[in-house]
Amino acid sequence: MIYLELFLSFLMIGFTSFGGMSMIPLINDQMLSHGWMTTQEVADIVAIAEMTPGPLGLNCATFAGARTAGTLGAISASLGVVTPSLTLTMLAAVFLEKFKENRLLEEAMYGVRPVCIGLIFAVIIQQSMSNYAGTLFGFISWQAVLIGAVSLLVLMKGKWSVPQTILLAAGLGLALGGL
Amino acid sequence: MKKEKISRTLEIFLTFLKIGCFTFGGGWGIVAQIQKEYVEKRHWITDEELLDFTSVGRSTPGLMIGNASVLFGYHAAGFPGALAALLGIVIPPFVIMLGVVFVYDQVKDNLYVARAMTGVRAAVVPIIFSALTKLMKSGLKDAACYLIAAAAFALCLFVKMNNVLIVLLGAAAGLLFQEVRNRRDLS
Repeated sequence: MIYLELFLSFLMIGFTSFGGMSMIPLINDQMLSHGWMTTQEVADIVAIAEMTPGPLGLNCATFAGARTAGTLGAISASLGVVTPSLTLTMLAAVFLEKFKENRLLEEAMYGVRPVCIGLIFAVIIQQSMSNYAGTLFGFISWQAVLIGAVSLLVLMKGKWSVPQTILLAAGLGLALGGL
Repeated sequence: MKKEKISRTLEIFLTFLKIGCFTFGGGWGIVAQIQKEYVEKRHWITDEELLDFTSVGRSTPGLMIGNASVLFGYHAAGFPGALAALLGIVIPPFVIMLGVVFVYDQVKDNLYVARAMTGVRAAVVPIIFSALTKLMKSGLKDAACYLIAAAAFALCLFVKMNNVLIVLLGAAAGLLFQEVRNRRDLS
C-alpha cells in the first residue's frame, strides 16, 4: 500500500537523520529507489523548501507524499517524519524534567549550552556564505547585505518581531531585486 | 485536566501556529521566535532552558524544529503541551507546501517570488544573530564556556563533525570541568 510505504520510508529518514541538509542524501536515496521522484525533482524540492517556511524534512515529506499519492500521501509521509519527535524526543523531554535537579545532568548541561552557541555561530557562517552571495567584488550581493543590515537594525534597535522582519525583508527583496 | 493547563495548551498551539508560518533558515529561526515569545514576553522559560531544548532537540533524531517544540511544549504543559506545540509548528508549512505542489510549475520560475525570497533569506542571519546575542549571556558564564563554544564552532565548521557527537563531547567536557572544580573546592 502506497500510504504505508510513504509512512515507513519517511519514518526511516526521520530516525536516521538529524534534520536540515543532513536529510538530503537519505531523501534522495528513498525517492529514487522507489521511483517516486527524479534527481531533478529532488533538487527542486530543496529549492522550494528554502522558499517556504518549516523544516526541510517536513517540506520534502509533504511534497513527495502529495506528488505520489495526493493529500493522504502527504499526511502519511509527514506523520512518518515527525514520529521521532513524538517518541524519542518525548522520552528525552520526560527525562529532562525528571532529572533537572540532578547534579550530574546540570554539570553536563553546563558544557552543552556553550556547544549550542558554537553551533549557532557555525550556522551563521554557513548561511551567510549562501545568502549574501552575489556579483559585487565577485562574491557579494549588495542588495542582500543591505536587507540584512536593515533587518538587524529593526530587530535589535526597533524591537520588531520575527514575522514583521521577514515581511519587511520580502518587500525590500521585491523592491531592490530589479536593480 | 486543570483549567489552567487547558488554556496553556491552547495558547501554545496558537503561538506555534504563528511561529510555524515564519520558520525560515533551516529551523534556527524558531529559536529566535521562542526566545522573543516565551523568554522575553511571557517569562515561561529562561535562556538556559531554551539552550537546553535546542541542543537536546539537535541531538535526538528527526526534525530539530519538531524536537525543540516537543521539549518546550512538554516543559510548559506536559504531554498535551508537547502535542500542541508540534501540531502548531507542523500545520502551517504542511498546508503551504500542499498549496505549492499544486502551483509548483507556475511558481518555480517566477521572478517576483524569487526576488522576495532573496530578501527573506537575507534576513535569516540577522534573525538568528539577534537570538544569539541574548543566549550568549546565559550560555557563556566563564572562560571554560568560551573554550567549549570555540571548540564546538571549529569542530562543526572545519572538521564537519556530526553535531550529535559535538553535543556529547560538550556534555563530557561540562562534567569534567565541573567535577574537577568540585574536587578542588572540597580540598
